[in-house]
Amino acid sequence: MAVTGWRRALAALPRFVLAAILLVAILDMLAGVLLRYVVVAITDYFDWPTVSFFWVEEVGEFALCWLTLIGAAVAILERTHFALAVLTHRLPLRAQRIVERINHLLIAGFGLLAAVYGWKLSVLNSTLVSPGLEINLALLYFSTVVGGGLIALDGLGVALGLLHPRDVVRPEAAA
Amino acid sequence: MLLAVTAVVFIALVLLSMPIVFALGIAGVVGLVLGGFPLQMLPSSLVAGSQNWVLLAIPSFVFAGTLMERCGMSHALVDLARALVGWLRGGLGMSVIVVSYFFSDICGSKMAEVSALGSTLMPPLRRAGYRPEDGASLIASGTAMGMLVPPAIFMIVIGDVTNTSVVALFLAGFIPAAVIGLCLCALVFVQARLLGWPKDTRPSWRFLLSAAREALVPMVVPVVILGGFYMGAFTATEAGAVVAFYSVCAARFYYRNVSWREMITIAYDSALLSAAVVFLLAVATVFQYLMGVSGAPAFLAEILKPLSGSHWLFLTGVALMTMLFGMVLEGLPAAVVLIPVVFPIATKLGINPVHFDIVQTAAVGIGLFLPPLGVGLLMALRFAQIPVSQHAKAYWPYVLALLLGLMLIICIPELSLFLPRKAGLVR
Repeated sequence: MAVTGWRRALAALPRFVLAAILLVAILDMLAGVLLRYVVVAITDYFDWPTVSFFWVEEVGEFALCWLTLIGAAVAILERTHFALAVLTHRLPLRAQRIVERINHLLIAGFGLLAAVYGWKLSVLNSTLVSPGLEINLALLYFSTVVGGGLIALDGLGVALGLLHPRDVVRPEAAA
Repeated sequence: MLLAVTAVVFIALVLLSMPIVFALGIAGVVGLVLGGFPLQMLPSSLVAGSQNWVLLAIPSFVFAGTLMERCGMSHALVDLARALVGWLRGGLGMSVIVVSYFFSDICGSKMAEVSALGSTLMPPLRRAGYRPEDGASLIASGTAMGMLVPPAIFMIVIGDVTNTSVVALFLAGFIPAAVIGLCLCALVFVQARLLGWPKDTRPSWRFLLSAAREALVPMVVPVVILGGFYMGAFTATEAGAVVAFYSVCAARFYYRNVSWREMITIAYDSALLSAAVVFLLAVATVFQYLMGVSGAPAFLAEILKPLSGSHWLFLTGVALMTMLFGMVLEGLPAAVVLIPVVFPIATKLGINPVHFDIVQTAAVGIGLFLPPLGVGLLMALRFAQIPVSQHAKAYWPYVLALLLGLMLIICIPELSLFLPRKAGLVR
């Protein structure tokens, strides 16, 4: 029972992360508007030192990058990615299952490539920092390692029949 | 050869029902390997494509649109539209086209716009008795037309690429968008009679006033955004965040019908849908690279040479190519890859740059919503929850109406040049 609870919590983790990143991105953009039009006006009026807000765009872009790559993996199980139903639905059920497994095996391979080469790119960029917040750029490229890794795991899970698309735990269900 | 093999792999995988984004990605990897390009291009493109300030508008507009729908704001807007024109045959359908025109005025990103309109308008359309495929067609064609209504991000990009005044392009877009809108409204009028779309009873003045009062809270949204844009207070991306914040405040303190827990669920759903769209755009950048290095732009320039005999023929040929590019690669990559190649030929032929840019903007707008791959159309279909094959039968009259509007814009340059000329921006 306890093991099931842990598994549910672990499965729900990327979903919590996605919701949290989205809210962080929205708050970041709001902060940008507030800083530019309220805080700057105040500092100008009182002749105080200027408040920098170069970081706003950086945080927003980092957030979207992470949201996209983690979301792309979760979307495999949620069947959110766009697909065309042209031929396969006319095949026998057994053949449909085989095609789906092969498709997910290829998806897992794609995710693995993204993760492996993403890791190399992270190492390559680990000596560089972002211009605003001076964050190590490896953190940005590491999103492809995490996203690619999750895509590989989800793809492999479906291909091996261990995971089933749409068999997901919603954030409120795990809360 | 490289592009041909990549295209065959892509088409084969799509036919086997692999998600389009992974079919694009795997075909891209095959192209990189065959071309002997470094595979580090893959993660590099994924990061470059998704690390985009402009695309940040998508999650916030999806979140705001879903929340507005959940707390009943969109119902108030649609109720007002129905009170105004719903009593005509096909009035609600026409109001979708009109709403698309005005919504484009407040939202620069097509993807964010289709997210907002899809999540806000699809449920009321369904409730009013429209089939999901008709609802998706109305939203897709309306949003495609709205590409020409400023401030469209594509206009800023194409103005930069062709070194044309963006203000002139903004002014030039109003009349062509209205022309395509009229073509669509004429189609809705005919469709309504053929398909027997529902007609509301004519509302009383009291009902009309009540609908207007209820719509005041959602009407603050376009007023805030328009004011923000015209005062230069925020970009489309920041506008999305402001609208999201406003919708949270309205839901919690005015409507009081959405719990924090429901908001987390809405945030999760919005994040997931946004991730699917941005990931598609990011993976498409691998294709851009392959097209660039395989000399596709020079090849296209050679193909277009025979069309240089007349302006309308040349513009039609380029527009068809742009539509196909827009369908596969999304609008902005089409501008960056194709337009720089064909624009010098257009100016040599004596085509006005503003006219050229407006035609290409309209073509990209249509391409984004062209079946079976237009990302805008696919996103609209997500809200309708129907497959492309089911939607295609209902959608083709809308595609024809859009193409008719495009041909009018091509053949009558004054539709694009009248307003910029009046403003002294075009000779």
